[in-house]
Amino acid sequence: MSDIIRREEFGDVAVLHITSTSVDAISAEAIAAEYEQMRPITVLDFSEVSFINSAGISALLKFVVSARKSGYKLFAMHVSPHHQKIFKMVEMSRFMPPIDERDLAEFR
Amino acid sequence: MQRIELNIPSNPIFERVVRATAAELGAAFGFSDERVEDLKLAISEAVNNAIDHGNQGEVNKLVAVVFEIDGEKLEIRISDQGTGMEGHDVSRHVIDEQSLEAGYLRGFGMYLISELVDDYEVNSSQKGTVLTLRLYRRSEQP
Repeated sequence: MSDIIRREEFGDVAVLHITSTSVDAISAEAIAAEYEQMRPITVLDFSEVSFINSAGISALLKFVVSARKSGYKLFAMHVSPHHQKIFKMVEMSRFMPPIDERDLAEFR
Repeated sequence: MQRIELNIPSNPIFERVVRATAAELGAAFGFSDERVEDLKLAISEAVNNAIDHGNQGEVNKLVAVVFEIDGEKLEIRISDQGTGMEGHDVSRHVIDEQSLEAGYLRGFGMYLISELVDDYEVNSSQKGTVLTLRLYRRSEQP
């Protein structure tokens, strides 16, 4: 298990809490490696993330590609307003829509 | 004019040093929190471009970052020690089905830079590439 991702699973759901404050060239590899452990519903939690650059976006796209191939659902949780703006600019939100923690509760 | 210069080896860990400097400088310049985030991201992309594409990741080659405050203007010049680059694609680059199918998961950097700064220019020669970013202080920050 990566020390950059804290994993939580219940039923078909995996919540991957990103514990690195930066999703960048340094943390990208460790984050991307987790895409192989996706569940039918996978949620990336950005609550501790204060910075994402394009190297980080590339790492997140590994999850998008894997989810599409597997028919899994991928969501983003606790995305800051700034990162919502960046995700909108590159249209990440189309492939990794936001989910509220309260919506996740129904799966627990 | 006030000037700060950093020279970092071509190792992505040092991009974080430049980013931290940009954050402090942007805040001191009076940018809003959101604009500081824009500045950090634009500089991060520029420095990573210089490391990866300019210096080809050769750690002994330096990336020079010069911050200059001149009145209402903050100008940042990012220089590499590469051999120049042909073409800089700043066209709108978004995630789409075709690029995902093709496994093309990169290439957002220059597009993001072009969207996040007030203006920029690229000068490239066989002696390397200089990317200049300019942001202006606004009376009403977005």
